[in-house]
Amino acid sequence: MSQGMTRREFVQKGLTIVAMGATAPSFLTRTALAMNNPFDIAQVTSRPGMPDENVLVVVQMGGGNDGLNTLVPFGNDAYYRARPALAIPRNDVIQVTADLGLHPRMTKFKEMVDRGVAGVIQGVGYPNPSRSHFKSMEIWHTADPEGRVMQVGWIGRYFDSKCPVCVEPTAGVNIGSSMPLAMRAAGGQGVTLENPDTFQWMPSLDGAGAREEQELFRMLNAPAPNEPGTIDFLRHTAMNAVLSSERVREAIRQYKGGIEYPNNRFAGSMRLIAQMIAGRLPTKVYYAHMTGFDTHANQMGVHAALLDQLSTGVDAFYRDLEAQGNADRVIVLAFSEFGRRVAENGSAGTDHGTAAPMFVFGKRIKPGIHGTLPSLTELTDGDLKHSIDFRSVYATVLDKWLGADPAKILGSEFERVPFLA
Amino acid sequence: MSQHTLAKFVPSESNRWDRAKAAHLLNRAGFGGRPDEVDRVARLGMDVAVDELLDFRRYPENSAAPDFTNLRALWEAYAQLAQARAPQRERFEANVAALRADNQKMQEVREWWVSRMIQSARPLQEKMVLFWHGLLVSGKPDVQQAELLFMQNELFRRNPLGNFKEMILAISKDPAMLRYLDNNLNRRGRPNENYARELLELFTIGIGNYTEQDVKEAARAFTGWTYRNYEFTFDARQHDDGPKSFLGRAGNWDGGDIINIIFEAPATARWLPRKLFEFFAYLRPDESLVEELAEVFRRSTFEVAPLVRAILTSSAFYSPKAMRTQVKSPAHLVIGSARLLGADSAMIPNLIRAMDLMGQALFYPPNVGGWPRGEGWITTSTILLRYNFSSLLLTGGMPGIARRPSTRPAVPAGAQRLLDGAGTAGEVVNRLVTAMAAGALTDDRKTALIRALGAQTAQAPFVRDGAATEAKLRSALHLLMSSADYQLS
Repeated sequence: MSQGMTRREFVQKGLTIVAMGATAPSFLTRTALAMNNPFDIAQVTSRPGMPDENVLVVVQMGGGNDGLNTLVPFGNDAYYRARPALAIPRNDVIQVTADLGLHPRMTKFKEMVDRGVAGVIQGVGYPNPSRSHFKSMEIWHTADPEGRVMQVGWIGRYFDSKCPVCVEPTAGVNIGSSMPLAMRAAGGQGVTLENPDTFQWMPSLDGAGAREEQELFRMLNAPAPNEPGTIDFLRHTAMNAVLSSERVREAIRQYKGGIEYPNNRFAGSMRLIAQMIAGRLPTKVYYAHMTGFDTHANQMGVHAALLDQLSTGVDAFYRDLEAQGNADRVIVLAFSEFGRRVAENGSAGTDHGTAAPMFVFGKRIKPGIHGTLPSLTELTDGDLKHSIDFRSVYATVLDKWLGADPAKILGSEFERVPFLA
Repeated sequence: MSQHTLAKFVPSESNRWDRAKAAHLLNRAGFGGRPDEVDRVARLGMDVAVDELLDFRRYPENSAAPDFTNLRALWEAYAQLAQARAPQRERFEANVAALRADNQKMQEVREWWVSRMIQSARPLQEKMVLFWHGLLVSGKPDVQQAELLFMQNELFRRNPLGNFKEMILAISKDPAMLRYLDNNLNRRGRPNENYARELLELFTIGIGNYTEQDVKEAARAFTGWTYRNYEFTFDARQHDDGPKSFLGRAGNWDGGDIINIIFEAPATARWLPRKLFEFFAYLRPDESLVEELAEVFRRSTFEVAPLVRAILTSSAFYSPKAMRTQVKSPAHLVIGSARLLGADSAMIPNLIRAMDLMGQALFYPPNVGGWPRGEGWITTSTILLRYNFSSLLLTGGMPGIARRPSTRPAVPAGAQRLLDGAGTAGEVVNRLVTAMAAGALTDDRKTALIRALGAQTAQAPFVRDGAATEAKLRSALHLLMSSADYQLS
């Protein structure tokens, strides 16, 4: 009870945790305290001078995004030679610089670049790239290009570094059905939700009575000492779920709305994140997912639709944050596990490749295009050579946005990329 | 000798073949057993029980397959319009009509499979179909046609314990797979690597046992493997019959040769055994155990049945590391609950919806890697859905699935049967906990259930005499199913 709240106050606040009594492990009680007191977010941050309110949103573009058809090198003949069927015609590209431009469906993205809230980091990858979805995704999640098996991810290690003896479940919130490895910490796995309406336990109401059932539920699910791993994990997850569901739904209730979002799953995730930010949920990192980038065949229409979703979804999100007055607090970082082969295949698609651009959004970023385009002619096995290590991007975010020491989290020093001052 | 070996389980004075092991076998080789089934398997003994499970064809199975005649006609009509270059609007409308009918048919196929899993007298057959669906993955929306996915499901069902090499050859020619991993468009000159890569990485050898060049060469070998009119066809004009070097062997290989070479690789003999052991017993087995299984697999030239028999009769399978340590998949949780408690056929669409919400949408796998497993199924989101699920069976609705109007259904027939002859609150709770959580509840947790029944002590009589006691019984069932213990198999 080091946060200055006595057990009595704790009970008076009517927290569900009470029934667990002495069996509650310390991290759970601290969890409950943190959630009742948004100022406890201080326990996961920060360095003097770094705003404690900074929030990171990670967007995972699953499947391997075709970077060359996203940030299009329209000034480069090699691009057109490699892609007779799939290249975006020069006249359709939304020009950003003299020889680089955006896919024609990214008009909202371009508007954000012009407003100074969107940027692209070119040629991001890592040495000896894996072309396996699963291995490469794991490498991005663990920030370990050696691909060693790990139980915690880079964001999880950030949580652990700030809060070594406890976990605050809502420090990391994932929107989706399974928790990404990136967010897993030694101290616990955080909160995942998809739909706030189903994010609550419902008593059966007409039997023992709702209140009685709630209490019996806690008796049944209270963690106990010395139980084997899996059942202990289940009990802790259940208690975290019940505690955080109350807090999340309360945060969401405060949301005013008014900004229209596109009607797709990704936009729905971004809207839910905006709702939680509006409700001042004590969360440092949110995680959202897009899927479908694995465009081996007939890529054109699918890829265009996905880039449209990315641009319009993030655009709506930032207009929402502006309306809330929270736009200063939030950056978005979008990545994919790899880019795609420079040359198209024979089925109007592209196979797995290597380096690709990342995307970054926020009012306090340096907008525009960062880094250099990898050569389209000096390839390794037909694939691009990366010019920026993805861990440099992580290091920049950890250092300049989250106020953490990147070397401790990533294992060594990486150059910063100047998209954050 | 360590208990975590493939050595056969031999009952002894201190470690008998008992109801707990019988229940464990029925859980893992199927979707769990009712108390009478557990009693029977406990009497039969392990060997006879495993024989029965493996030799499932001795039990009749008849469920009418969905009919695709009308759907085929819709797709045919669309294809003809496209071929005749009919006006775009006409083509568009025909396409929408076919797609809509196809999605409805997919739902029908899902209901057909789920009711089969609930009713089947061949639980291991359906459990193996689920295994193959999660390993040799295909699904909507990438595969547009429900009929192709149905055909693939039947391929898995036809011989789910047969020869793995034959299964790999069959899946390489399976239209749904050809479509899902784009091999139908894999053409000479500019190959499409999608199928070749996943065949190596996810279906047979595993990452680290081949090079990027092997992927490219294998992709060339599978050029021209496509399908037409719902059947595999080899398109010689699109096949690259030039020389290739694959896993160090040079020749003018085609897809069949690639599979032959794959099955000569030592890593292949370990791949499926590990997957099967993890599916039935526990995750991350010792390498020595995997090697023993690989030996069984090689000796039988890649037959699956001997492998499954070895696993289900091993001491490792009945060790504490295996028993009640597996997180039920959503399919297992939902099907098992329906088998135990009973669910009428009108409820099947909602059971499927519940599985979808919990993260296992049959025929809509998240990606080619298949489903999560173990603790991967559990997040703060899914655990609440899983805990709420019992209200679907008990009241007809749960958060996310609206209840149809009108009154609450009766306590499910299966639950009633569990309670025959139980006269006190303590007996009721013991019956439930034994049947639903292998008895693994501590006394203070049982006390919570006794309180849910409205009783102060275990000795208090519990007489079911009307709506009030039925509601209390529902409370107790809901609470028991809203517990970590019920999530484990």
